[in-house]
Amino acid sequence: MIVNKNDFHSFLKKVNSGLGNFSEVIVPYHIRSDDEKPALHFFRFEESKLPNLNFFRTVDPLKILFYLTREKVYPLGQKNHTRIIVGVKACDIKALHLLDKAMLQSGFVDPAYKQWRENTLIISSDCDFLHETCSCNLVNGHPYSESGYDLNLSVIDGNYLIGIGSERSQEFIELMKREITVANSTISDLEIVKSNREKVFDQLVEKNNPLNHSSDFSEFRKVEHKNWEEVSKECIGCGACTNICPTCYCLILNDESSEKDFVKVRSYDSCQWYGYARVAGGGTPRPKMTERFRNRYLCKFDYMHKNFGEIGCTGCGRCTEACAAKIDFREVVKNVSAIAQEVN
Amino acid sequence: MQNPYEVIPAEIYEVMQESPLIRTLRFKPKKPIQFKTGQFIEVGIPGIGEGPFTPSSSHYTVDDMDVTIMKTGFLTEYVHKLHAGATIGIRGPFGSNYPLEKFKGKDVLILGGGCGLAPLRSLFLTMLHDHKDYNSITFLAGAKTPKDCIYKDEVTEWRKYDNVRFIRAVDEVPVGEQWEEDVCLVTKLLRKIDMKPDGNPAIVCGPPVMMKFGTFDLLKYGYKEENLYLSMEKKMYCGFGQCRHCVIGGYYACKDGPVFTYNQIKNEEAIWD
Repeated sequence: MIVNKNDFHSFLKKVNSGLGNFSEVIVPYHIRSDDEKPALHFFRFEESKLPNLNFFRTVDPLKILFYLTREKVYPLGQKNHTRIIVGVKACDIKALHLLDKAMLQSGFVDPAYKQWRENTLIISSDCDFLHETCSCNLVNGHPYSESGYDLNLSVIDGNYLIGIGSERSQEFIELMKREITVANSTISDLEIVKSNREKVFDQLVEKNNPLNHSSDFSEFRKVEHKNWEEVSKECIGCGACTNICPTCYCLILNDESSEKDFVKVRSYDSCQWYGYARVAGGGTPRPKMTERFRNRYLCKFDYMHKNFGEIGCTGCGRCTEACAAKIDFREVVKNVSAIAQEVN
Repeated sequence: MQNPYEVIPAEIYEVMQESPLIRTLRFKPKKPIQFKTGQFIEVGIPGIGEGPFTPSSSHYTVDDMDVTIMKTGFLTEYVHKLHAGATIGIRGPFGSNYPLEKFKGKDVLILGGGCGLAPLRSLFLTMLHDHKDYNSITFLAGAKTPKDCIYKDEVTEWRKYDNVRFIRAVDEVPVGEQWEEDVCLVTKLLRKIDMKPDGNPAIVCGPPVMMKFGTFDLLKYGYKEENLYLSMEKKMYCGFGQCRHCVIGGYYACKDGPVFTYNQIKNEEAIWD
């Protein structure tokens, strides 16, 4: 399907104001006016502002809209209305897929996450610019989605080519067809999208060329402590990397019960913090920063692989962007990979 | 699937002071908690927090449960202030259980110390319910001193069964305390009994150092790695593998455990810490 960009935006505007059965439309907006260092955040659609549906990933990961920084998980409220999030990037879709495995398919279900998942229509979009930390190509990803979305947008000049990824997007499509002109896409449209995607991917590969590393992470655990000390020496243990990581979901459960009613509130924890996993009597499994630093990399590349059959890094680059000590995650992975290969 | 964060209120009807630092709370949950012995629950105090504890009662009594708790930190300070009539909140059950079906017809050895006797009492009471299903049950229980021994009032009852042995040892007997049973580390009791390690299970729970040397001794005496059941009750927090606090090299004590066989985890890091 092909739709005109402006038509599509005005359609979103109508949907956001109550057309159809959707509660709200959430889109990325530039949060800085200067073009020097663009940064995007998800906000509710505003009548007067045009969203930035392509570009690159938002500053915050998509997880904050599904796994809230603070959320009451018992007793559970009902989320009956379907919202739409537009402009989701491939790295975040991949992360959501991993969160699904952790929270829906591991024996127990996190009911609040499940409600958000069921009540959200995801419209992804191809990246047409790259953030300096973007590195999905290093972890087997692409700057465009091939699955996991309900609908996907690819820009062709003044139009969007809309790809359908799920049956549940049907209601939205029917509504759209009633409101705006929807044309059929041609083979040449698909070819343009393919070539645009290749162009962005090639830029990504070229940009990250110096950071290439092996995709076999199975020997990370054999890397010696002194090597981890070296790569972690600048780390101050603030936990920004884990909080902003789209696949980190470690939690603390606060008891906010009154005398009569039990109330549980879940919020983010970070394995980078000293108090993480501290037990009664004061014992903590990883008292040294190096051990906690190492745990994060092992969790992403070893434990998650063991638990879910895929690694926990989607190459979004947010941890590198957020790091107060300017530690480049990609460089650490590259260095540790090289040492791991030698050990092997 | 039910909400794993669901809190089931429960009323405490009795508090027993087992030793200076250890208490057993007896409570009735508002709805039955169908656990299997070895699994754990989260015990919470409204407004304070919660912690993982393994019931110390038999899994045949799901509407009337016990937990045995040592005063160790923030939460347990509050736990030790609770009285009969107080309401606590329970989540669970969580984790793996002792595979009783594998123990049937066998000579079962249970080795425990300190507050590690809590889950073992649950196992022991559950097995006593069907004691004829087991060839024999030997329970070796350790404590630091006589006054640290827990479940004192139940020992006579436990020693009434023909195929059951309950043997206790204390590390030392301070001046002024009475003790007529063994004085040694609990692991030393292994030498005193006629062990039948061949194909039989041994279950270990206690302080880390006791678990470590107990496991090594049992291996030395010929128990097989896959027949050694360890209760790795450590660092558990959420109960269902989501908080990732209790990770042991990609395993989660709360979800894959707390009951592990030694061969499952022997190559993982820092299992005895």
